[in-house]
Amino acid sequence: MHVTSRRGFLKIATAGAAGAALSPALGRAAGKTVTLLHESSFIPPFDEYMKNMLAPAYEKETGVKIVYEIISVGSSPARIASISETGTGADITMNLTLIPFLYDEKYADVGDIAEEMGKEQGGWYPAAREMAIVNGKWKAIPFCSIGQLMNWRSDWFAEVGFKEFPGTWDELYEAGKKLKTKGHPFGFELGHGFGDNHGWLYPLLWSYGAHEVAEDGKTVTIDSDETARAVDFARKFFQDTMFEDVLGWTDPSNNKAWMAEQISCTNNAESILWFAKQNFPEIGEVTQQSLNPAGPKGRFHFLGAISHSIFNFSPQEKEAHDFLRWLSKPKQLGAWYDVAVSYYQPLLHAYDNASMWNVEPRNIPYRDALGTSHLPGWPAPPDRRLAESVAKYVVVDMFAKACAGASTKEVIKSAESQLRGIYKTA
Amino acid sequence: MSIRSEPLVGLARPPRPALSRSGWLDREAVFSWLMMAPPLLFLAGLVGYPLVYGILLSLQDRAVAKPGHFVGLRNFIADFHDPIFWRVAVNTVVYTVAATLLKMVGGLGLALAMNQHFRVKNLVRALLLLPFIVPTVLSTVAWMWMLDPAFSVVNRLLIGIGVSPPGPSWLGNPALAMFSIIMINTWRGLPFYGITLLGGLQTVPPELYEAATIDGASGWHRFRFVTLPLLKPIILIVTLFSVIFTFADFQLVYVLTHGGPNNATNLFATYAFDLSMGAGQLGLGASVALAMLPALGLLIVALTLYMRKS
Repeated sequence: MHVTSRRGFLKIATAGAAGAALSPALGRAAGKTVTLLHESSFIPPFDEYMKNMLAPAYEKETGVKIVYEIISVGSSPARIASISETGTGADITMNLTLIPFLYDEKYADVGDIAEEMGKEQGGWYPAAREMAIVNGKWKAIPFCSIGQLMNWRSDWFAEVGFKEFPGTWDELYEAGKKLKTKGHPFGFELGHGFGDNHGWLYPLLWSYGAHEVAEDGKTVTIDSDETARAVDFARKFFQDTMFEDVLGWTDPSNNKAWMAEQISCTNNAESILWFAKQNFPEIGEVTQQSLNPAGPKGRFHFLGAISHSIFNFSPQEKEAHDFLRWLSKPKQLGAWYDVAVSYYQPLLHAYDNASMWNVEPRNIPYRDALGTSHLPGWPAPPDRRLAESVAKYVVVDMFAKACAGASTKEVIKSAESQLRGIYKTA
Repeated sequence: MSIRSEPLVGLARPPRPALSRSGWLDREAVFSWLMMAPPLLFLAGLVGYPLVYGILLSLQDRAVAKPGHFVGLRNFIADFHDPIFWRVAVNTVVYTVAATLLKMVGGLGLALAMNQHFRVKNLVRALLLLPFIVPTVLSTVAWMWMLDPAFSVVNRLLIGIGVSPPGPSWLGNPALAMFSIIMINTWRGLPFYGITLLGGLQTVPPELYEAATIDGASGWHRFRFVTLPLLKPIILIVTLFSVIFTFADFQLVYVLTHGGPNNATNLFATYAFDLSMGAGQLGLGASVALAMLPALGLLIVALTLYMRKS
């Protein structure tokens, strides 16, 4: 019987450990590679197009290999944090909403590409600057907005006398009351999801002329008559048009309810129509999409900002920069937008009349919403404190508590106290 | 005249033989430390380092991707003034106490039932482990469907027995949402209790039961005076583990409710994650996560002392 000696065992163990430690380093040394981190798209052809068309085309042209690393929806903040903290990982990342304002010190200035794109492609929507310029520098290249708009059942709305979507929140409330009585309630998320809650609650707040913090980024302005009116409206809107479950909804909930024909109106991205058309054509046929209703102070929309940034510590910063410049050209960018058929709404005016808008006319309101779209917390400058307010669901829970029965005064005071804590003002 | 002491030849230590590498490795003390080194390094690296790093973070105004500055206990003071923090603390205690008690009682019942002789006993025992084996995220998604108002099998059953439609809002009502996550955690953790206690039950010598029966002990008395005292150390250990797992639970809540509605199900772990990753406030997030530590530490010390005493 062969017996391994202690020395032999240690030799094998040491050799194994050294081999394991060295192997990734050897792998990394081969060739120039740029890694682009992206959350998985709700529109599968979008990811496939980058992987199978754009990345190989770029490699053929320049010899630089593009690795398109797809991660699950919602996991990018944690991933970007770990890359930034450890200084290793992808070279380019996709950003959601407020991320560029948290990581600006780790992101390279991409102003040259952004300005060039603006000049060559019809100019940027103001929302593009709002989402990507941090302390005067472009820290991200705006890619699009994934708009959140009103999705409604045209057949059921017609049954209660609405051939067109109501133009104001008050008219929508009247329609909702009738529809709930007929067994077709509304379903708007009031729980702790990622986007479908902010997607309608911030626009509702703004449309009443209310804001959580003023433009100076210091003055907490949530305690106002305008906020009180918005909260009062939300309470009756919930009580008379919805059902209790929406208080606990997360982002997939309204999609499930829509496909189950449980609700007649919600606020979502255009993926709801895309999915219905693919899987439930009869529902897809009666799914309509419209701009958010107007309030006393106008009509607003949520900016579902998506942008791309380069990590400034990346050893491939130059290659990453070159790749983004190549990707920003209409030939590549336009084709990439096209495969997703307007799910990603470009923020460059050159695409205002692009062919993708002809594929499904019901998606056109998503383009029309771009001019009145803002990041959560607007008009306060987006920063770390604003991100804290969003992460703590201050505005969402202010409305949700009122809907669950708390008084308007109580919920506004509670939100104000939280905001004062976050903004450290007395 | 000088006196010079000469070394005593007979008492002098014999010269130490030069240690060859092989001889050195053959020494028990050296080899045992070499064998202990990997797990110790593993513990220091994967348990000790994150803990110390977490404590350091909690004492800084450290934002993600930015250097931090020492701020003492300022983050903990901010937590103290944060109403969500207190809501989260109460939620976590309610969740942990309720779910642990349910798992303890249910797990004991399960173990006693599984200790009986019946057909396909082994198959049933294996199946019982399913909730524990299935990845939490997957089983939670299944629960999400079961508690969904449109598809809820639970509500359909309730409506079938006369509850007015659409039935309870399991995740929309704050109290029911807490009840739901407690029940799901219990469902998931019950097999751990059950199987571990079953292992304990099988170590109880049958002679003790025979002696108790001969002495005229009833079934309840056999359980109370034979089974329970012998199981106590295992119950305490399982409870200790369960409290730690439940107190720091994350996946279930993150997937099912993300802390909603109105923070009714927000726990320390989910809130700390939102503050750290959503808001990028690593220092503040670490302080919330570390707020669990004193309570858990006290509990662990108390249970360990109790076990040692008994």
